[in-house]
Amino acid sequence: MKKTKSVFKYIILILLTAVFLFPIIYMLANSFMQSGEIEKTLNFSEETFKSVNLIPDMFSAEQYYEVFFRRAEYLLKFWNSVIITLPTVILQVVFSSLAAFAFAKLKFPFRDKLFFIYIVLLILPLQVTLVPNYIVMDNLKILNTFLSVILPGTFSAFGICLLRQSIKYISYSSIEAARIDGASYLRIFTRIIIPQIKGGLVTLTLLTFIDSWSAVEQPMIYFTDKGMYPLSITLSDIADSDYGIIFACGVMFLIPPLLIYLYGENDIRSPFTTSDKL
Amino acid sequence: MTHKAKEAVAAILFILPSLLGITVFYIIPYIICFIESLFAGNKFVGLGNYIELFSNYSFTLALKNTAIFTLIAIPLLMVISFLIALFLNSFKRISAFFRSSLLIPVIIPVSSLIVVWQVFFEDYGAINGLLNAMGLESVEFFSSPFSMVMIIIIFIWKYCGFCVILFTAGLANVPNAYVESAKLDGANAFTIVTRIKIPNIVPTIFFVFLMELIYSFKIYREVFALFGDYPDEHVYFMQNFVNNNYYNLNYPRLSAASIILSVFIIVILLVFFIFERKRGYME
Repeated sequence: MKKTKSVFKYIILILLTAVFLFPIIYMLANSFMQSGEIEKTLNFSEETFKSVNLIPDMFSAEQYYEVFFRRAEYLLKFWNSVIITLPTVILQVVFSSLAAFAFAKLKFPFRDKLFFIYIVLLILPLQVTLVPNYIVMDNLKILNTFLSVILPGTFSAFGICLLRQSIKYISYSSIEAARIDGASYLRIFTRIIIPQIKGGLVTLTLLTFIDSWSAVEQPMIYFTDKGMYPLSITLSDIADSDYGIIFACGVMFLIPPLLIYLYGENDIRSPFTTSDKL
Repeated sequence: MTHKAKEAVAAILFILPSLLGITVFYIIPYIICFIESLFAGNKFVGLGNYIELFSNYSFTLALKNTAIFTLIAIPLLMVISFLIALFLNSFKRISAFFRSSLLIPVIIPVSSLIVVWQVFFEDYGAINGLLNAMGLESVEFFSSPFSMVMIIIIFIWKYCGFCVILFTAGLANVPNAYVESAKLDGANAFTIVTRIKIPNIVPTIFFVFLMELIYSFKIYREVFALFGDYPDEHVYFMQNFVNNNYYNLNYPRLSAASIILSVFIIVILLVFFIFERKRGYME
């Protein structure tokens, strides 16, 4: 009885995992198919039901060859994505951790009120701030430059909340001790706080990376030069036309975030699992 | 300088970079936006733009759809991910592989997955193939009320794992002694969940809710990726309205719409914070 129950539970577990992983496996499998085969899967004008097939009739790297050697434009878009994402992530992690330290461990007037304003302002969806931001960018004369997407992206409530939460669990006593030894706050920040919130930092890096990596709205509105569009926008367009390379492009696009995830995986779960309250 | 003053100065310095950014990219834009929303051309019209908006069909449609999505998708996602978290917690050990797979959907960029969703949901896609094989009628996921269902499914699939991880962390911290003593008193599994586990993870529930709220506004990316600029009317969200109005460069109308959407969210947040503060979960 007990045994059947646990077998049953494992079956559910495996099914669940399959649901979460399926799209990746599907993408990978299809990225090694030849364009003819893909066309059969994706040509929706033919009135036959599509089947989901995972094993290529013939294994081929044709799609990757196209993307990397024949169609330079996709690599250029990929590069645009990198130019937008890297500075955003770095700046956001730096600014958020600085502010999070002050909000979590230092006392100053209006701290809680300011924190509330931060959360409210930053939680507002992008669509609300896009318009006003457009006006400001216009005045700063940075429309149609990468800066217009990078700068606003560097400030986020999520980053400050997440890191504030991790920092909270560091005990006051270590900070007090350092103060008594005459350490400056900057020194406390770099020597005591930062090494202890690695999990939070990696998580923030990953989530910011994904967010900025898949940004669609900002570039579409702030860039008039379509050559500056990141791959995220282009991918939505080629879905209708370029069957031959769509899967390879998709895989190429998901590799950077996946690598960061696999690299930091053990640290990523720690801010959620070691703290007793979130 | 006293110790206290020193600390305050240090705090201000730490916050300064982000405060500057927030002033330039959020506070000032807001003020401009609010002022713009009160004018039409160069004429002051007061709340005129707002009133006009509410008689605009596409605006009310967008507002309605956004509200429906938020009200259905968020509670549904919370319940599903909570149940999965309970399920995972019932295992003594779980291999790292299963846990890693939970976060995969959040990691994959929207744009990479468009084709996958199309193969599934198109009129002649895999799901309809399956339905037909079972003798049921096809569902038009791209041009019927079912497009909302599709978007909700995608939303849940994407963020479910993330919420499950937050919930399992919360559940792992419910003291085992509580559960054991309840068992001794003869409580059944359902009572243990509702009376002991849920009340003990309220802070986690709040955090998950906040995260989901933030993410629910990002669903526009999926909608854009799947439908382009002009989606089916059932998934025409606020964001679509704002984006499409960009091309007409109708600033006053856009600004008014932004302010309304902000008020909508600020109200949700205020309720949330007041409730949280009352129960003392902030700390």
